[in-house]
Amino acid sequence: MDEILLVEDNPDDVELTLRAFRKSKIANEVVVARDGVEALDYLFATGPHAGRDSNALPQLVLLDLKLPRLDGLQVLERIRGNPKTRLLPVVILTSSTEQPDLLTGYSLGANSYIRKPVDFQEFVVAVRRLGLYWLLLNQPPPHPPA
Amino acid sequence: MADRRRRRLSHTAIHLTAALGLVVVAVTSFAAYRHSTWLTAALIPSILLLISSHALLARQIRRHEVIERVLHDTNRELESFSYSVSHDLRAPLRSIDGFSQALVEDAGPVLDAESRGHLDRIRAATQRMGRLIDDLLALSKVTRAEMRNERIDVSEIATQIAGELARLSPNRSVEVTVAPGLVATGDPHLVRLALQNLIENAWKFTGRREQAAIEVGATKDEDGMPAFYVRDNGAGYDPDFAAKLFGPFQRLHPASEFPGSGIGLATVQRIVHRHGGHVWGEGRIDEGATFYFTLS
Repeated sequence: MDEILLVEDNPDDVELTLRAFRKSKIANEVVVARDGVEALDYLFATGPHAGRDSNALPQLVLLDLKLPRLDGLQVLERIRGNPKTRLLPVVILTSSTEQPDLLTGYSLGANSYIRKPVDFQEFVVAVRRLGLYWLLLNQPPPHPPA
Repeated sequence: MADRRRRRLSHTAIHLTAALGLVVVAVTSFAAYRHSTWLTAALIPSILLLISSHALLARQIRRHEVIERVLHDTNRELESFSYSVSHDLRAPLRSIDGFSQALVEDAGPVLDAESRGHLDRIRAATQRMGRLIDDLLALSKVTRAEMRNERIDVSEIATQIAGELARLSPNRSVEVTVAPGLVATGDPHLVRLALQNLIENAWKFTGRREQAAIEVGATKDEDGMPAFYVRDNGAGYDPDFAAKLFGPFQRLHPASEFPGSGIGLATVQRIVHRHGGHVWGEGRIDEGATFYFTLS
């Protein structure tokens, strides 16, 4: 499944990220989760997503850090703690470049850490490169045994 | 200030009582040596004095612990404040910039030139504010950073910084002189940052000189302490406004002439103060500027 899970609570950021994908000709389906709980429900097919096939994982998770309920770092910890999602590529996409966030993000097993620039044109460039790398160039991990 | 005086007073009290206690003990020992009957009588005040000195010491330590805790809490609040600034203040800026850009792209053809110009101004202002936030954060990081104390080769660092600037602007011709053998003790990262700000300033403000010259050297301050300086023959500044030099976001030149957010010297001052040193400048309009700093 070639979809991207975008975990982002700010509707403006969602809109702008989708726009950046469109402008970068990234046609993958984007699923948006508005907070950490929703993201985990989607990934593990629980709660409102209980009917979903939990073996169908997105190709890439774009994870904001500051989220309502469960924050991004807690989400990452749960993702890495579950054998099914242990290897799932997760890119932190956030405003913060505070050292503790970087340190904890990488320590918890983030694959990459990208700061959202204020300049939208720079953001489009960042999203294009990110898509090129993670969706085309990078070899995804093999599917875990069901 | 009052705090420092109180601390000094109680330190003196501790030392005085301890010294008095010692004198009494010495006298007692001497007396005990001759008349053993004195012994018990004289030992009591000496023991009392020692006890009171310990009580004072203990109170002092407790006070220090309270101060430390307050400092710790303040630091933590500062951390979370910076975090909010870093994250929450930038988010709306991204929206303003992103949707202005979307308007330019989607509605550009139906907008007249003036309206497109307005959108450009909105975007420029947004990005300026983004830079200001970044600079403010960088400044607060200087205050929060853990300090190391190491020997620093100032000459080497200054030479590296100048070399990097020369590499980045190959069209500039600047004569940089760094005195050999300049060493200091302090935090290597912070001292480098201070030097970088000073040398970059010198580089920037000599931008209109045919024969730009920058000199990095050492001298002594009025108390005879070693001081480093960075001198340039650039635009200088109006000494009447020298008091503003080191304030954050204070600028003595219009941004159109010399770009920058006015955070450089404020950063230098914080770094120098964290080392227990002081920083000062000398300059006149169009006659260059010299910035001095000590590190202890």
